[in-house]
Amino acid sequence: MNQCYGCNTCKSADKPLEDFIRSLPMETSHHRVDTQKTKCGFGLQGVCCRLCSNGPCRITPSSPRGICGANADTIVTRNFLRSVAAGSGCYIHIVENTALNLKKTAQTKGELKGMESLNHLAELFGIEEEDNYVKAEKIADAVLADLYKPEYVQAELVEKIAYAPRVKRWKELGIMPGGAKSEVFKGVVKCSTNLNSDPVDMLTDCLKLGISTGIYGLTLTNLLNDVLLGQPELRPAPVGLRVIDPDYINIMITGHQHTIFVDLQEKLVAPEAVKKAQAAGAKGFKLVGCTCVGQDLQLRGSHYQEVFDGHAGNNYTSEAILATGGIDAVLSEFNCTLPGIEPICDELKIKQICLDDVAKKANAELLPYKFEEREAQTEVIIDKIIEAYKERRGNVPMNLLPEHGNSNTLTGVSEGSLKSFLGGSWKPLIDLIVSGDIKGIAGVVGCSNLTAGGHDVLTVELTKELIARDIIVLTAGCSSGGIENCGLMTPEAAKLAGPKLRAVCEKLGIPPVLNFGPCLAIGRLEIVATEIAAELGVDLPQLPLVLSAAQWLEEQAIADGCFGLSLGLPLHLGLPPFMTGSPVAVKVLTEDMKELTGGQVIINSDAKASADILENIIEEKRSALHI
Amino acid sequence: MKRIFIDAAKCDGCKNCTVACMQAHRADKGNVYSLNLTDILNESRNHIVCSSDGSYKPIFCRHCDQPECVMSCMSGALTKDPETGHVLYDENKCGSCFMCVMNCPYGVLKPDTATHTKVIKCDFCAEDPEGPACVRACPKKAIYIEEVGE
Amino acid sequence: MKHVIIGAGAAGIQAAKTIRSLMKDAEILVISTDTHVHSRCMLHKYLSHERDEKTLSFIPEDFFETNHISWIKDKTVTSIDTEASVVILQDGSQESYDRLLIATGAHSFIPPVGQFREANNVFGLRDLSDAQAIRPLADKAENILVVGSGLVGMDAAYAFLEQGKAVTVVEMAERILPLQLDEAAGDAYREKFEGHGCRFLLGKKASETVMNTDGAIEAVILDDGTRIDCDLVIVAAGVRPAIECVQGSSIKSERFIEVNSHMETSCPHVYAAGDVAGLSGIWPNAMKQGETAAYNMCGIEKDYTDLYAMKNTMNFYGITTLSLGRGVAEKGDEVIIHQDSKGYRRAILRDGKLDSILIQGEIDYSGVYQYVIKNKIDVSSMKDKIFALSFSDFYGIDEKGKYQYQY
Repeated sequence: MNQCYGCNTCKSADKPLEDFIRSLPMETSHHRVDTQKTKCGFGLQGVCCRLCSNGPCRITPSSPRGICGANADTIVTRNFLRSVAAGSGCYIHIVENTALNLKKTAQTKGELKGMESLNHLAELFGIEEEDNYVKAEKIADAVLADLYKPEYVQAELVEKIAYAPRVKRWKELGIMPGGAKSEVFKGVVKCSTNLNSDPVDMLTDCLKLGISTGIYGLTLTNLLNDVLLGQPELRPAPVGLRVIDPDYINIMITGHQHTIFVDLQEKLVAPEAVKKAQAAGAKGFKLVGCTCVGQDLQLRGSHYQEVFDGHAGNNYTSEAILATGGIDAVLSEFNCTLPGIEPICDELKIKQICLDDVAKKANAELLPYKFEEREAQTEVIIDKIIEAYKERRGNVPMNLLPEHGNSNTLTGVSEGSLKSFLGGSWKPLIDLIVSGDIKGIAGVVGCSNLTAGGHDVLTVELTKELIARDIIVLTAGCSSGGIENCGLMTPEAAKLAGPKLRAVCEKLGIPPVLNFGPCLAIGRLEIVATEIAAELGVDLPQLPLVLSAAQWLEEQAIADGCFGLSLGLPLHLGLPPFMTGSPVAVKVLTEDMKELTGGQVIINSDAKASADILENIIEEKRSALHI
Repeated sequence: MKRIFIDAAKCDGCKNCTVACMQAHRADKGNVYSLNLTDILNESRNHIVCSSDGSYKPIFCRHCDQPECVMSCMSGALTKDPETGHVLYDENKCGSCFMCVMNCPYGVLKPDTATHTKVIKCDFCAEDPEGPACVRACPKKAIYIEEVGE
Repeated sequence: MKHVIIGAGAAGIQAAKTIRSLMKDAEILVISTDTHVHSRCMLHKYLSHERDEKTLSFIPEDFFETNHISWIKDKTVTSIDTEASVVILQDGSQESYDRLLIATGAHSFIPPVGQFREANNVFGLRDLSDAQAIRPLADKAENILVVGSGLVGMDAAYAFLEQGKAVTVVEMAERILPLQLDEAAGDAYREKFEGHGCRFLLGKKASETVMNTDGAIEAVILDDGTRIDCDLVIVAAGVRPAIECVQGSSIKSERFIEVNSHMETSCPHVYAAGDVAGLSGIWPNAMKQGETAAYNMCGIEKDYTDLYAMKNTMNFYGITTLSLGRGVAEKGDEVIIHQDSKGYRRAILRDGKLDSILIQGEIDYSGVYQYVIKNKIDVSSMKDKIFALSFSDFYGIDEKGKYQYQY
């Protein structure tokens, strides 16, 4: 009966998951890696242009220019800018909704859980206000005001949030962004048909978009979320498919907008909902974390212990989570909600509800979140899910994997919780870095994909290589989901670290890989880096700090990467972002960037070789700092 | 012998075979990301022609049973391997006369663009145990290998 | 069964190879005046020091051993006794045969101009022995005269120019490569050659010579009185079939040896192929004639069908040219000419069919034209893209994966 769909699934760093997916009776993305293994060489290099009806044009030795005359450099950078603009747009959409939800909550005097974050933001923004609600509203307004500025009006908060030496450099380079939404607009205009053909000019715009993406999407979203949803606190938590408790009505959440769930996550554990659940035969409701919004919930898990079961897995684990049969509904509000979950949901009668039309799934019900109607919407959602629960339980096969994952992953790491853990100062960490007990810091961030060796393969292998070299790893994004399910965020993982880092971890009882949560939390890593740099009195590019988006997947990740480059950080990618067809783009990103911002792109799909390169860079930076 | 069979009806003109051929025969090392697509030294040995009716026709060396190119070769650079049946080309022997270009009835051959001293000719990826790279690269299976006997 | 092949050129070697592939145990003997198997089409590369005796070969070094073929080299067959089925060599020795192939090729024709035939510094360029004799003289020479601007003449001129010699080419026609090219295409080469220091005297004939006491021509006087001082003269005025060995035998020959479609001469079991058979002197045809003769010598009937010989390619100074057909437009023909940065092309269409095509410059994938001309395919509907024909226009494929023309 449970005949497997196909045994040619891709590899996963998570072996039990790999075996589970291979045994599934339905097709998943892991199966399709094989059927999509033939890639278009022009596409891989970014030299296919579909910007006009003369196309698609492709670059070959006998046709080095498109019909319009665009060469490889122009085609590649136009495509690249388009990706960066789209990726930036995604993050700006998230921060916009987050700020709106904070504003409306403040206006209606709803609960604000993160007072520390509120005051911190007020201080950064220079808002002096007694009333917390007014303060919160003004903060939200300040963010929204910047988002809505035209491109030609410089955004105000960049200078307040970003590290001063960086701002100085950005001004020198002329890449201080205007209004964040308008920057996206400008970007897509620039790269449209027969407009810009200057690769360097377009790459400069990418950096600008990187800054606005980073400051608003990646930094402020977290802080606004903290105000509304509570600051992260360290705690061990279960991860993996084991978190699914079949006795409950389980709701898998996917997306990036935690504030959309504020009302729902309260109501699901309120007596009325529990009663409804019990009437249907369940003990109550549980949220099962998936993708970045799951990471966000996990990050703030200490505030939501009752409703949140734990984080089950990242984007490319979502199909497996559903295939357990233990999930009754999927609530999605953004990416990375794979289209591939739809047939699985249909087959297993899992209710799909989309809370934001930007992520409307073809066969899901659309119930766009409206702050004003949130309570009524919550009611509707609860009822629909109970209905689905009743219809499916007992009628669909359960295929749980209760041993998967682990139960003691360290979660809740943020710039605030980590600093508190260290005694309210970065000095202990700086001392460890200076002494060489920690050689350096690597942010292993971004997504999970299936093609850089397989599902999380490069991410996990690279992480292992880095910690073995006494480099502490901080994660944010779907990389976190993969790494945590592989056990590298448990204190026991210290034994995989190099002797010095291992001793540090064992002494402090922490894992060698610290999970900052969602991809949005790349901004939190930046805060950590900035505060350390400030304490040392150096600029970011001088720190023994590297970034790797080893298994970057999507346009958002490319925009993230541009933020990393604008910060002046070395950025490793496992696969090139469809740009190697352009000699100019390659040179600018991998060489010239060192002079421009201090950053550089490193492309390498081999874990060991990549770790060697990153370790070298860290050592060079250490010796430049004379440590 | 083995021959690359062609089902032209399946060809979408994606030129993946072309890129795969360039990659398989590039002089420098590296993966497909670093293949210089504008370098005339990286010429493909196969090519796809868009017919007047809009359909695509893959033009690939047939490694003919009676190869006209071999018959026209006055330097001994082109030979038919009696073992594999493949028509081999030794550029060191080539006299660059291009009689083979003229004598291939199917217009598969061309002089190299960069130097006009050698012929761009399919070698069936003889050194690759996995066989011709173009075949592996075709997403439509419009080209595939079959044994054709003597 | 003993097969004897006279000549180790394209036809002879191809015949030997084919016989071996058809008859594992047959005795095969090749007798040649040549001391080295070599490609005549590459002799100019010997003159330019690009190749030596070994690299002029068009067969593997171990060809004779691997194929168990005996080879008597440096011996000329002087006569054939068809009654006794023996050939007689210059040293009087004899070789019997069951089947005989005469593939003796041709000799350069040296016209009786002045003392061309007597002088010791006047050569044709046909055999390696010619090239071996020319090279030491050429290395020392300063002024070299090439008479005739056909492919052989131009090849020789190219080789000498590469060696830094002062080269003069005299041509009777008003343009160079007159049989292969029209004026425009010829001019492209002429300019290149002139750019490399070559002097052309067109529309002129050599008429007298000045020979010194050492027996060397010092100067050639043209029909217009122009005197050309020279240390060496290459005469590229065509070839004559090498039929000496059949003279006096019952094998029918006039200017060349007559053969039927099996490449068989008037005498049973005696065959001829290549230049000596007079059908066509070009390489691929000689190869095919040798192969056809071999089949028939082995008792497998096969007709020689590829009579099309008006084809050539050339490649000087990076300019490649393909020329098919006579290239002479007749009344009612349509002539289409294109010239652009990729080159010069001229097509002559006759009754909706392609009669001739000349492609100079980019000759990529141009193999289809020979087929189209040879098979008289109607291309009247393709006139607009006559220079862009490809096999896709005739695409067909059989069950064994072979391409087949559909039209």
